[in-house]
Amino acid sequence: MIGFSTVATSGGFVIGLLLGLIPLAVAIYYRKWLAGLSGFGACVLSGFACGFLGGVPMVVLASAVVISYAYVNRQDPFTSLASLDEVDFRETNREFFMRKMAALGNGLRATSRMLLRNKAGFVGFLGITFFVLVSVFGPLFVPYEGNPQFQRRLPGANSLFQGPSAEHPLGLDWQGRDVLSHMVNGGQKLIVTSVLAGLLATAIAVIFGAMAGLLGGIVDQVLSTASNLLLTIPQTPLLIVLAGLIQLNNYLLLAVLFAALNWPGLMRAIRAQVLSLREREYIEAARALDLGTWHIISREVFPNMISYIAVNMIFSIRASMYNLVLLVILGLVPLTEPDWGVMISMGRQQGALYNPNAAMMVLAPITAIAVFQLCLVLFTRSLEEIFNPRLRSSL
Amino acid sequence: MAVPAYAPLTPTAPPGAPSDTRTFRRRLRKFRKSYTVRVIVQGLFTIWAVTTITFFLIRLMPGNPIDIKIEQLQRSQGLNYQEARARASNMFGFNPDQPALEQYVDYMSKLLQGDLGLSITSEGVTVSSEILQYLPWTFFSVGIGLVISFALGIVIGLAMAYWRGGPLDNVMTIFSSILYGIPDYVIPLLLIIIVGLQWHWFSPGAMRGGVDPTLTPGFTPEYIGSLLKFALLPVITYVLASIGGWVLTMKSSTISTLGEDYINVAKARGLSERRILIGYVGRNAMLPLVTRLAISIGFVVGGSVIVEQLFQYPGIGLNLLRAIDSRDYTTMQGMFLVITIAVVLSNIGADLLFGLLDPRVRLGGTGSDSDGAGDGS
Repeated sequence: MIGFSTVATSGGFVIGLLLGLIPLAVAIYYRKWLAGLSGFGACVLSGFACGFLGGVPMVVLASAVVISYAYVNRQDPFTSLASLDEVDFRETNREFFMRKMAALGNGLRATSRMLLRNKAGFVGFLGITFFVLVSVFGPLFVPYEGNPQFQRRLPGANSLFQGPSAEHPLGLDWQGRDVLSHMVNGGQKLIVTSVLAGLLATAIAVIFGAMAGLLGGIVDQVLSTASNLLLTIPQTPLLIVLAGLIQLNNYLLLAVLFAALNWPGLMRAIRAQVLSLREREYIEAARALDLGTWHIISREVFPNMISYIAVNMIFSIRASMYNLVLLVILGLVPLTEPDWGVMISMGRQQGALYNPNAAMMVLAPITAIAVFQLCLVLFTRSLEEIFNPRLRSSL
Repeated sequence: MAVPAYAPLTPTAPPGAPSDTRTFRRRLRKFRKSYTVRVIVQGLFTIWAVTTITFFLIRLMPGNPIDIKIEQLQRSQGLNYQEARARASNMFGFNPDQPALEQYVDYMSKLLQGDLGLSITSEGVTVSSEILQYLPWTFFSVGIGLVISFALGIVIGLAMAYWRGGPLDNVMTIFSSILYGIPDYVIPLLLIIIVGLQWHWFSPGAMRGGVDPTLTPGFTPEYIGSLLKFALLPVITYVLASIGGWVLTMKSSTISTLGEDYINVAKARGLSERRILIGYVGRNAMLPLVTRLAISIGFVVGGSVIVEQLFQYPGIGLNLLRAIDSRDYTTMQGMFLVITIAVVLSNIGADLLFGLLDPRVRLGGTGSDSDGAGDGS
């Protein structure tokens, strides 16, 4: 099964504390107190959330940011604090390492500045962060209630449904369980499956699109025909048929299925991009300079497509989440609690749509899904700016 | 039609009689390159491929109509397996033991004669009559929704772009971004819970179905009123679900049109504001949207499975779901076919329409491309 590799654990907290000392030490060495403290905090948080898996990358990133504040690039006296007499192109391994770290840190700082620049995008980013944080850390504070709580039935009530109260802010569901606990615990699988499906679909689309655009000929024809067919078949009915076909109780397989349905749109766009980029002047110039295929792809073609790919990945994540919730609402995949989609589906079956007391059971998950999807769309605005090479270079 | 000076690339025939085979070959090449022929062949191929793929896919699904019916009979009437099986196979004219390939050949040969076969689960009902029964509902509700949302979207988007930065623009940008961002099944659920349950504007239980079942069909005011009343919720859903996209696209399209030179020229000529806005800006900004409209007409037929399911609206989507649940192979197949044909036709229509609306596409381009499409005018 997939889920976040861990929900927050105390072991992860200790790991985060220990790892956080590294950027802190670096910061003390350079006397950059504020950067060091925020790096420490970030390490503790990500270590807490994912153990070593989140802690170690965060140590690298946090240290890079701290170094970038203090680093003086002796090779580039025009944009850093180095004086012109100090220009020196020989460097030791340590200096090389520091230079790369500082570049990474600068990139991160530029990214966060871009993130703050677009208001709508920043709101989206905050929303996504909120949902992820709640899904990771929420279960620590709101434990999951899986068993029916018959003792909560009010005298004279004909069902266990209850409206919001001080004790249960979102009310009780049809088995008397706290709706809030389902909300906090029910987003993980949905988010992880959608993200996984989005990543997979993007990978397939990029590989197929590049193949079709670069190789041409029969490969191009086969891939284009396949994508055209997939785009013509009505998606929802096809999804329902396929869901029945594979009898999905495995969320990993579901992610693969969504990816298999989601790649054609992006693939066609990438193919078109590759075809048009191949003819651009700067590619011709790079070719004339004999810069090598790999250099051209990684330095010239890729940066021009990454913004497009990133935005489409977000849309693909969004489509996968849409599809997953759709299948669950229609009751076409085995239902495993806790899950937002299952809440909607069970709410419908148990008559929550016709009982004013029970409205929260359906209202809460659909609001969460709608807001999350909205945040994804808003976040694409920022992504466009972050990955746009023209905007970046001006920094 | 005036022949463009650069178009005839084919060499003029050399003096002396050109051989028949060469003319034939050239004609064949021209025929194969012709836009119309290519589009038709591609469309036919798509329809065939989708039919074939879905034919085998739906037979790969676990369970077959007879098994499902046996299960139902066992559960509902308490029959044992043997009795239920005997009864079920009597009911359906379907033999699950026939090899799939044989079924495929049978089906395709019937299909070529325009025969979609009999429904498996409803006795004696042809698939075509089933489709004809459900299609109008979907066409009616989704069609009205599409027209309203398109018209509204065009007007609002145009106004937003024209008074850019004004209060209308700010409010509607947020509003349509939200509508564009949320998934469509959220809207019916919100309608039922908030408007129906909390505000008591309508009773959710009474608004299920397509029309008040106690009324007799006919052109009476009550019947038509009831039709409209029951279609109201799905139509509102479709409008809200799609208007965000129209508004945002129209706005950005209008903004880019406003920067065009011919708008400045029109202003310099002293044309009235109103005439520029409608005749020059609006018409040109609409171009990309019209093709998208043509494409989405194809999806009208497929309707929305989830919206029809939530409102129990008796259209194609709801019944496709029912057919999938009961493994009614022929009905599923027929519905997939109709939906696919609609999508293919609307794609072709969008292509042709774009050529018709945008003279640059019609007249420009290279000679070989405009062979079929442009010659008609």
